Amino acid sequence: MRSFAKNFTKGIVRSNPTFVLMLGLCPTLAVSTSLDNAVGMTAAFILVLVASNIVISLVHNYVPDKVRIPVFIVIIATLVSIVDLMMQGFVPALSKSLGIYIPLIVVNCIILGRAEAFASKNGVLDSIADALGIGTGFGLAILLISFIRQLLGTGKLDLFGHHLFTIPGLSENPVSILMLPMGAFLVIGTLLALFKWMGVTKGD
Amino acid sequence: MSKKREFWPVIFLTLVVVISIVSLTVVNAITKDKIVQAKREAVAEMLATLFPNMESFTYDEDSGMYSVLAGGEPIGHAFMAQGRGYGGRIDILIGLKPDNKSLQGIKIITQQETPGLGAKIINASFLDQFRGISVNEVDLSRNGGKIDAITGATISSTAVVEGVKKAIMKELGSQVKGGNS
Repeated sequence: MRSFAKNFTKGIVRSNPTFVLMLGLCPTLAVSTSLDNAVGMTAAFILVLVASNIVISLVHNYVPDKVRIPVFIVIIATLVSIVDLMMQGFVPALSKSLGIYIPLIVVNCIILGRAEAFASKNGVLDSIADALGIGTGFGLAILLISFIRQLLGTGKLDLFGHHLFTIPGLSENPVSILMLPMGAFLVIGTLLALFKWMGVTKGD
Repeated sequence: MSKKREFWPVIFLTLVVVISIVSLTVVNAITKDKIVQAKREAVAEMLATLFPNMESFTYDEDSGMYSVLAGGEPIGHAFMAQGRGYGGRIDILIGLKPDNKSLQGIKIITQQETPGLGAKIINASFLDQFRGISVNEVDLSRNGGKIDAITGATISSTAVVEGVKKAIMKELGSQVKGGNS
């Protein structure tokens, strides 16, 4: 049980996929424009990562080393397609809100990264812990980035259609550049520098 | 023996692909009807927002045209249009009054425009401009039409207007021209 907790917490700070491993930055940059997007992406991401880590940790002993990457890619792509079809068929409401993130996950290299770096060398339980930890780390990072971008970029905060608050003055003249792709780089870069300076993330 | 080991990775990968194909085929077969059903319900929901009195609808696959019915009488037509926005494709549902000469309204189905800027195209203040105008008046006001572009979101506004215009031309090209002469 101790290793479960260790593998879980490791993904949140020490090997945070966004701020330390710097993996999967592309979808992070693309969807971090609103909190709604961040929540949807995180949910879909954790779902697929847990499933892929389970399957890969189950089969890793049988996979010939030479073809392990193609095998992992086929497994991940199949899982993503199954999740997508199942959601469309059985929970169309969920598919409507998460649907656009599912195809994006196929190209998220964190999934393949965890398959290669962790699930292909560890047992099922540890791999689930790793997936949950990395998923939480990814979720916290993308939530933080989109919180900053939405707050400063629009001057107000909405979550799933509920208006939370408006910053007077800023909402009339928001920092719109933060909503553009360039703003994502600015925010991620600043956060990276901040975390390094604070010593939260230690570069090896 | 060494031959066997050499080919094992190839055979393994082929097996994995076959398993993948089989499981996808099975899942597809299970979910196919349900997806069609869910899509139809989603379409009905969409149409109902444009035509609040709608009771049922029919779909003509050749023309891609939905006919909206209430009490057995047609109360309008609807079809899909696409615009090329700043963030990618914008899917638009266009509703026409039964005479096909004026718009019932439009609805943005999917869009990936920048929140806070281009994504304002889903706001009622923009979409309501399309309500009830003639099919010939669908254009930005600077081009002589009746639609005001959103400040700071010219590309997205233009994408919607152009998408709607093109789709109307395509669906009822001859009828629009006929209306002009």
